[in-house]
Amino acid sequence: MRTSFYRLLQTTLVAVVMLLWSIHVSAQDRRLTGKITGPDGAVPGANVVLKGTQTGTSTDAEGNYSLPIRGTNPVIVISAIGYKTQELQVGNRTSYDILLVEDATALSEVVVTGYTTENRRDVTGAVATVAPAQLRVVPSTNVEQQLQGRVAGVTVITNGQPGTSSQVRVRGFGSFGGNQPLYVVDGVPTQNISFIPPDDIESTTVLKDAASASIYGARAASGVIVITTKRGQRRAQKLSVSYDGLYGVTDPGHGPKFLNPQEQADWAWQARKNDIYQGTYLTNDFNGIANGQYGTGSTPVLPDYLLVGNRSGLSASQVDLSAEAAKYNTNSTNGAVYNVIPANKQGTDWYKAITRVAPLTRHTIGFSGGTDYSRFYISLGMQNQQGIVLNNNYSRYNLRANTEFDLSKKIRIGENFQVAYIRNVGVLGSVGSQLGNGTNNNSSSATDENDVLTAFRIAPIIPVYNSFGGYAGTAAPGFNNPNNPVANRQALANNGNFNIYGFGNAYVEYDVIPNLTLRSSIGGNYYSGYSNSYGRVQYENSENNTTYTYNEGSSYGLSWTFTNTANYKQTFGKSELSVLGGIESLNTGLGRFVGGSGINPFTTDPNYVTISTTTPGATRQTYSGNGLGNKFFSVFGQARYIYNEKYILTGVVRRDGSSQFAPSNRYGVFPAVSAAWRLSSEDFMKNLPWISDLKIRGGYGIMGNSNYLSATNQYNLYASNAGNGYDINGTNNAVNAGFYRSQIGNAEAKWESSITSNIGLDGSFFNNKLEFALDFWRKDTRDLLFQLSLPGVVGTRAAAPYSNIASMRNQGIDLLVTNRGNIAGGLGYEVTLIGGLLQNQITSLAPGVPYFTAVGNSSQRLSTPVIRNEPGHPLSSFYGYKVIGLFNSKEEVAAAPTQDGAAPGRFRYADTNGDGKISDDDRQYLGSPIPKFTGSITLTLKYKGFDLNTNLYTSLGSQIFNYSKWYTDFYPSFTGAAVAARVKDSWLPTHTNTSVPIYESVSNFSTNTQANSYYVENGSYARLQYLTLGYTFPSLVLNKINFNRLRVYVSATNLLTITKYSGLDPSIGGAADTSFGVDVGNYPITRAYNVGVSLGL
Amino acid sequence: MKYSLVKGTVATAMLMSVTFACNDKFLDVPATGQLSSTQLTSKAGVEGVLIAAYAQLNGRGYTQTASSYNWMRGSISGGDANKGSNSGDFSAITPYETYQVLATSSEAGGKWNAMYEGISRANATLRTLATAGSDVTADDKKRISGEARFLRAHYYFELKRAFNMVPYVDETVDYGTGIDKVANNVDIWPKIEADFQYAYDNLPATQSAVGRANKWAAASYLAKTYMYEAKYSQAKTLFDLIIASGTTAGGTKYALVANYTDIFNAATETNSESVFAIQAAANTGSSDNANPDLVLNFPYNTGSNGPAGCCGFFAPSFELGNSFRTTAAGLPLLDGSYNTGANQLKTDQGIASSAAFTPDAGPVDPRLDWSVGRRGLPYLDWQNHPGLDWIRDQSFAGPYSPKKFVFYKSQDKTLTDGSSWTDGYSAINYQIIRYADVLLMAAEAEIEVGSLETARTYINQVRTRAANPTYWVKAYAGGNAANYVINTYSTAFASKDAARTAVRFERKLELSGEGHRFFDLVRWGVAATTLNNFLAYESLKLPVAYAGGKFTSGKDEYMPIPQQQIDYQGTSVLKQNPGY
Repeated sequence: MRTSFYRLLQTTLVAVVMLLWSIHVSAQDRRLTGKITGPDGAVPGANVVLKGTQTGTSTDAEGNYSLPIRGTNPVIVISAIGYKTQELQVGNRTSYDILLVEDATALSEVVVTGYTTENRRDVTGAVATVAPAQLRVVPSTNVEQQLQGRVAGVTVITNGQPGTSSQVRVRGFGSFGGNQPLYVVDGVPTQNISFIPPDDIESTTVLKDAASASIYGARAASGVIVITTKRGQRRAQKLSVSYDGLYGVTDPGHGPKFLNPQEQADWAWQARKNDIYQGTYLTNDFNGIANGQYGTGSTPVLPDYLLVGNRSGLSASQVDLSAEAAKYNTNSTNGAVYNVIPANKQGTDWYKAITRVAPLTRHTIGFSGGTDYSRFYISLGMQNQQGIVLNNNYSRYNLRANTEFDLSKKIRIGENFQVAYIRNVGVLGSVGSQLGNGTNNNSSSATDENDVLTAFRIAPIIPVYNSFGGYAGTAAPGFNNPNNPVANRQALANNGNFNIYGFGNAYVEYDVIPNLTLRSSIGGNYYSGYSNSYGRVQYENSENNTTYTYNEGSSYGLSWTFTNTANYKQTFGKSELSVLGGIESLNTGLGRFVGGSGINPFTTDPNYVTISTTTPGATRQTYSGNGLGNKFFSVFGQARYIYNEKYILTGVVRRDGSSQFAPSNRYGVFPAVSAAWRLSSEDFMKNLPWISDLKIRGGYGIMGNSNYLSATNQYNLYASNAGNGYDINGTNNAVNAGFYRSQIGNAEAKWESSITSNIGLDGSFFNNKLEFALDFWRKDTRDLLFQLSLPGVVGTRAAAPYSNIASMRNQGIDLLVTNRGNIAGGLGYEVTLIGGLLQNQITSLAPGVPYFTAVGNSSQRLSTPVIRNEPGHPLSSFYGYKVIGLFNSKEEVAAAPTQDGAAPGRFRYADTNGDGKISDDDRQYLGSPIPKFTGSITLTLKYKGFDLNTNLYTSLGSQIFNYSKWYTDFYPSFTGAAVAARVKDSWLPTHTNTSVPIYESVSNFSTNTQANSYYVENGSYARLQYLTLGYTFPSLVLNKINFNRLRVYVSATNLLTITKYSGLDPSIGGAADTSFGVDVGNYPITRAYNVGVSLGL
Repeated sequence: MKYSLVKGTVATAMLMSVTFACNDKFLDVPATGQLSSTQLTSKAGVEGVLIAAYAQLNGRGYTQTASSYNWMRGSISGGDANKGSNSGDFSAITPYETYQVLATSSEAGGKWNAMYEGISRANATLRTLATAGSDVTADDKKRISGEARFLRAHYYFELKRAFNMVPYVDETVDYGTGIDKVANNVDIWPKIEADFQYAYDNLPATQSAVGRANKWAAASYLAKTYMYEAKYSQAKTLFDLIIASGTTAGGTKYALVANYTDIFNAATETNSESVFAIQAAANTGSSDNANPDLVLNFPYNTGSNGPAGCCGFFAPSFELGNSFRTTAAGLPLLDGSYNTGANQLKTDQGIASSAAFTPDAGPVDPRLDWSVGRRGLPYLDWQNHPGLDWIRDQSFAGPYSPKKFVFYKSQDKTLTDGSSWTDGYSAINYQIIRYADVLLMAAEAEIEVGSLETARTYINQVRTRAANPTYWVKAYAGGNAANYVINTYSTAFASKDAARTAVRFERKLELSGEGHRFFDLVRWGVAATTLNNFLAYESLKLPVAYAGGKFTSGKDEYMPIPQQQIDYQGTSVLKQNPGY
């Protein structure tokens, strides 16, 4: 830990020195300084802008500001969250102290949109902002997770695993993939924000519709999340220091309920009785159950030993432990493995065994300051978070240095730079793409037979450890194939994995004339990563890895963006005009990777093992690859006209070219218009004093999208790899390279376009005590790029071309309502309700393609795919047989429509088409993982220095395909490994009032081989995301200790989850948008408790 | 003001022109790490495309059951073996042992796609060859096109006997040029014959690499095609030539190897009996080269005492075990009485490994213990098979383990791929056609159109090899592992029918577990009778595994055309097979 911190320091020291050298003073003609206060004292973070220009600043922790002033009759605009925006004539003043009036309307803030900032009042598109304080309250490693429930219309499906990305979707799913929003951090687009510490964030803005987002062009079709980091204030001042610290623990809670060892044995006996009842077991005996572990008598007898050498099912009297100790051997190089596994008759809690109470620490120290001609913000941060699953650890060390200097009164230069070192080990499933051109930025998704699912499958009678301190496991026969998940987790202890990110930009701004600013920015993201892993030789399982393997690999990547803009603002009487033009070129991410592996080094001491010390020869393998990234070249313009603060009209047009398309279809032109009418400024509204502000907005635009398109779609390609070679010479250990068609190209592919319309209403009433924003929106995606399934006759190892053939519709309603005020006795409250309704539907696929399927995670153990994507239905819909009950008698089976394998206690499927026969045609849609409504209620109470914050998040109307039931509920799936307590409620001739099918040996169409509605569960839930109690010390106290600010708080997160879902957690993502919502043992979000402190000097 | 506006405009324009210099060329980004077809026209390029066509023989990239080995369709559907493992694991195979296959079966789809992938690679070879550069000589062209057409014929042969009516696409159609409009309304046997004939006419007898198809492999496969078409006299003519002059690609005269197990041993598999094989190789950087289709077919939970440890699939059937029973004279029980009374092989079904068990002591064909792993007998060089402890779920899978295509302990991690989750990725070749198969087919052809006596000679050649006691399975303590009694047919067959019965049973014994049985039964027109008899017997032993099993004549001879393909190509192009 400490060494890695020093490593970070080393790598960044040089950069810091280079960035700081230039904090110096240069000449400037006139400057306005002052202090901004509110009724309660200084207002930090207020925005002060010279009207009609790009020049602006914000106040420091004591409310002080300093702003360069130019022009005749200068007017400054002061805005701050929670206060009324004021416009003031400066006149000849050099100093101006301003008292703000509490307003508390969100409509007054300055929002960072497109390539510029605008006043919230003038926004014509669908734009939402999130206050950084609201983000920070969620102790997550990733800002994405903190966005959950913050913005109406933004769906965040996340999990509890530190360091993984989430499925963030702004206004639905416009495409079949690549639906992640574009993140723009300090003007630099990126698709990964995992390296940004939440404490560095100054503002977060979500651009939801075409009118607001399309200035960012083709990569913005799925919405844009604009993040700016802290920058300091331009004013002569002393250094401000802030510190934010957080410590917490996450409690894994309890796993699902399982059979105890006696119950498992009893139910194995019951399964035999059920087989006899069904007539599938022909003699009346108990032979051969669980490989004889429980004997063969009429009742099962728990053994004392599950395995001793090659004997199993033994009583204590049959085992002389001291004699066995001499034979005990777990190292197969020393001879045959001889394991001694006792029975754990109390039962092992495997979920508990693989989890832990996991600590979290976060420290951020920030330094900000400036002169009249410069400003800076520097922060150092670290976060160390353990996952609740053993050896899943995440740590991040980061340094940020943002600076800006005036070179002259017209030219400013600046940079925002961050370097981060992230170590992330023991991740279950994938983490999502690291950089750039990944079309799949989905959340971490568990894989089949992962360690969490395994903990639900392995028999409780098996102990974690054997009699002599080694591992126990399913080497004891009769319990099928689960690995010892504790052994798996412990084996990860020495694995390494780290990434180093450098992210940022440098820019120059030139005020050619007071109203015209040119800006040039070059930014990018560089990362390099390294990982190594050790694969141990297993001996404790029924299916063992018997070779020690070592893997090592590294990669780097670079994405860059070069942007040049010209921004012109002018006021003519009652008219305001602003025009923005720009050119941008970028590369989404080029890079290379290399790696290798080897087996069986002389010793497995991790200090000895490298690839070079593994067994020489053909078992050493290498791989490498490279990518050139996707390049874009774009020209764009935006114009806004405001008349008399009442009528606002905005037009945007952008022309994008992308290297993903062949030259003939390379460019697309995408326009958007939006307008707003401020009703409250009209005379006829003036006599309604309870209306503080009321605005109608409307927007319409076309956005392009190519996120889902592979970089090489235009080319026909052949490939060669180890897996397509052939040993033509009969050597047994070498292959000749084979070239196979790897891709069929499509030079005709063109931009997807989505037509977005949005009608919104912003209002605030009763002197801003009540405000709301309501949006009705629709997004129709046309020419949707879709990878046509190739008919088998073509040869399906070739990747199919993407063609523009499908369409999709998303529509919904976003609502935000805030009510604030004071209850008697100084108790203030603010309650915010956010809600988003979403309807997603595929509206057409290619002619001749009625649907396409996906297995969803790894549910290939069912004999037909779980997921079907078809016009008329939402993405990733579950498809299968509808269970209308269990057959209760042979008579019922006989009277029912013909169904393969039907028998009492088994599933009875709906005969959807009424033909008297259950066949493929009777399958139907069983649900969709897309929530129909997501929303939250946030409540803040303030009393004197105390504040209480809480947020209740809810996701309604989604379904989950609980595929883990296939493993845990059905005796024959992996005989001996179905141990869910649900089994106790399974059907018996004497217990027919149940939905859990009979526990028996048969695996067929009517038991566990088909996707059916038994697995589909209601995925709705409500979660108390956090409850935080804070106390801010009064300034009287703070002044004595020379603090500006001191707040301490205690917080509990995920305190309560209300759901009917029977799995660990209802928040289920997936590897792709066309196949998610399938639970194979998800990494749960569990309760955590935190304490924190935030102070300023 | 005016001046500054001009200045601003100029500056802006300059800035823009800087970035506009990034013209269209900027957006031309080539593919990395992959090739265009025009880069493959050199000799090495064309050869590489051909290699990829060979690579698809094992069905890689698709399901384990898609291989040309046909362990599921040929052997499990044929009654050689049951699915094994436990009821739920890979349950998509179960319908193939109970003949309850649905049109949506993933395994039917996998076989279809894997074989058409092979065809597309063979066609790509022919297309690339047509544009080949000057370094490809006329002889090269003859050979490469011969191999490509041999492989194409092989893949179509696989499709023909699996699905019967399939669309025939050659190198003249491709994606975007009508490939998906070719209907499955024409019998493709003549096309298969034509490709094998071309290969026979153009391929050399000796090849530079032992894995290549040669003239005699093409001849053998053409003769096999004739057998499937019941063109016995054409087959016989070819078989006579092959038996007289046929050689392997390495130039060795075709002959049976002395030791039957050499055929299934990676160290000895390239021998005089290898007519055409899937060449497997281990530790090559990808387990796809090392029998990815066979990894499930090992005993279960063996620990380090047995091979691979996973996953208990492909368990030889009770009925197959019984079939190896011989009379005291060392001949099989051709009347079917091996399934009755004491003739049945004694097994350890229902007996724990810790309980005592004495293996069957009656007379058996020595090929039993080369083919079937059974309790108490040496399992290659590993140890005595412990019975139940190596069986995943005996009530579902029965008492046996597969034994052919299992590697030796002495070969673990040298002839198996050590880098993967199981050691079951091995370098053992599967012989698509081996010489014993040729001899037995030749015997059949003789019976139908030639001489019963010649047929008897061929059958006896096969039996004689098995009768060499040097190579019989020995107990670790020494001595034969079981009571092996085998003899040749010493007298002339009584009738054509008797000869047929003998040769067909000989195929069952000699080629058990090698993916032939089901196709033979269909070819002989006896599938319904034989398999329903099989089900009647086996379902008493393994009622769960065979629940609901019934072979329907006129339907179950062929797999369904995959529903997904019909959905893609339309019902006017692809007609479903009868009964589905």
